[in-house]
Amino acid sequence: MDKHPHRKLLSRFGLGKLHRRGNREIVRHLLEDCEECRQVTSRYLPKLEYGTAFEAAQREVESRQAQLVAERVDAGELLRELLAQPFERQEILVTQEGSHYCTWGFCELLLDAAREWGFQDPARAIELARIGVEVAERLDAGAYGRTRVRDLAARAWGILGNAQRIRDDFRTAEKSFAQAELRLREGTGDPLEKAQIQLFKASHFGNQQRFREAFRLLDRVVAVGRRCGDPHLWGKALIMRGFLLGLANDPEAAIRHLSEGLQKVDSASDPRLVVAAQHNLTLYLAESGRYGEALRLLESARPLYRQVGDQMSLLRLRWLEGKIASALGHYRESEELLRGVQKELIERELGYDAALLSLDLATIYARDGRSAEMRRLAEEMLPIFKSQDIHREAFAALFVFQKAAEMERVTLGLIRDVTGYLKESRATWSQRSRQAR
Amino acid sequence: MATLDHPELRESLNILLKNSRPRLERVLRNFEIPPEDAEDILQDAQLTLLYKWDKIRSPESWLIGTVKKKCIMYWRKRRGSLCEAVDTAILDLLAVPQAPDQEKTELTSDLNRVLARLSTRCRSLLKLRYGMGYGPTEVAEQMGYRTSSIRKVTNRCLAALTRQLLAVGFDREPEVEPQDG
Repeated sequence: MDKHPHRKLLSRFGLGKLHRRGNREIVRHLLEDCEECRQVTSRYLPKLEYGTAFEAAQREVESRQAQLVAERVDAGELLRELLAQPFERQEILVTQEGSHYCTWGFCELLLDAAREWGFQDPARAIELARIGVEVAERLDAGAYGRTRVRDLAARAWGILGNAQRIRDDFRTAEKSFAQAELRLREGTGDPLEKAQIQLFKASHFGNQQRFREAFRLLDRVVAVGRRCGDPHLWGKALIMRGFLLGLANDPEAAIRHLSEGLQKVDSASDPRLVVAAQHNLTLYLAESGRYGEALRLLESARPLYRQVGDQMSLLRLRWLEGKIASALGHYRESEELLRGVQKELIERELGYDAALLSLDLATIYARDGRSAEMRRLAEEMLPIFKSQDIHREAFAALFVFQKAAEMERVTLGLIRDVTGYLKESRATWSQRSRQAR
Repeated sequence: MATLDHPELRESLNILLKNSRPRLERVLRNFEIPPEDAEDILQDAQLTLLYKWDKIRSPESWLIGTVKKKCIMYWRKRRGSLCEAVDTAILDLLAVPQAPDQEKTELTSDLNRVLARLSTRCRSLLKLRYGMGYGPTEVAEQMGYRTSSIRKVTNRCLAALTRQLLAVGFDREPEVEPQDG
């Protein structure tokens, strides 16, 4: 072995202060396994002892935990207080400087409420999500961590976009999703947060019949669910795929995915999703002529519908019951159920749904040869025409139906065509509005 | 899902953090993260877990995965100056023109002896780098890594090599493969 380098040189090497040639000589020497020189150099290696790091992290977590618990305790009361105000005032209250509403705990609760209201009352969900966005964008990055605040803002924009999608406001929804993605890019990189936004976007693409894009996103969500050991997320993605396959007129594949997804999701933590999945599964079973299975599933799902208890779910349950009754030839029972649902849909200004339901009623009258009721139904459809979410092409289709009813020339084939056209034009319209930007 | 508003559930977070500590330590050690930087990584991951506790179904695997990802990002952003010095010195030594054959043979033999103590994957990677003179893109191609991830894998192997060269007592490196991704 060559002469040992001077200790001073070894120290300077360890501190990264030696020139290139000196480094070369030391490394050449160390390559010869010089235990004596390593006694010096080893001091400059970081000691991989993490005790202090764990203890410091633990202290910080404990202090923040106490603060977060306090925020969550206050959040319920704050939400009640805020919701008692008119919407404009709510916005002012959360956006004013030093607002006591700008806490993580409150923002989370607000967003959960917005999500919860999404299908029951989309207009209210949009209002809550808007406030959620305002709060999330104003959270103190120094207190909560910049990347975590970005994640929460992404969640808020995602929930807002989803509520807008439910209201068929696809153009605005797309803008909100773009905002969510921007925030995610500056966030923690948490795959679960990203997966939630991908689920929302997949629904959005599905509504616009952009199935390939939707399925690609859902594949990514499935992968995240598997990797993170989250069967619920995985199941959600399968259920969503089932919904979209149904929209894409592939009921058999929809039935397969919905059944598989239902086995994976945790029904206790997301009963609304389970109800929606069971509802669609029942619908596709009925549409495939498997009425026995559809009825059995409907019966087993009924308690969960009641447990979820929101008006829209119960309304859709009655609509589904009416459709099955109609398919089984129980026209009176079906008519009674569908009439009740129709009235409520009109009151809620859900024009497309009301129009589609009227066509289910028309099917009963056509099968039963009740031309007087058919004419009356066509007249009653006028308020639906005035609904804000019906666009011009759909008016035209309904107008054709109305004229045919007046002339007593409605056939089952015509009803099927108008129904198909309405479903398709809803997606085409949203697609066109997207392309027109 | 569980919320942190109840004391028993707060306790469950603390238990989780305690139970996951050995696995997290292994991750930090495998990635050769200096302890002063490990504190930031741990704190950030654990705080995110705290804030998102209600939304995460498998907290332990989420936490381990997040810390791993942060370690990868750590090496993507920096390269230790000591590792860099060792790497440059070896490349310089191998590139010396007109060195006598015996000197070259001895150098290769000494280098191979040190590399033999590294994990199989690091040994192969550094042999391509030093023995064959391959650049990062060629190493990535040969070893089936993405070009985007070869730098961080190389950095981790260089950290392991530096440790072997400088530390007292030559322990064999555990056969933990650096992750691609």
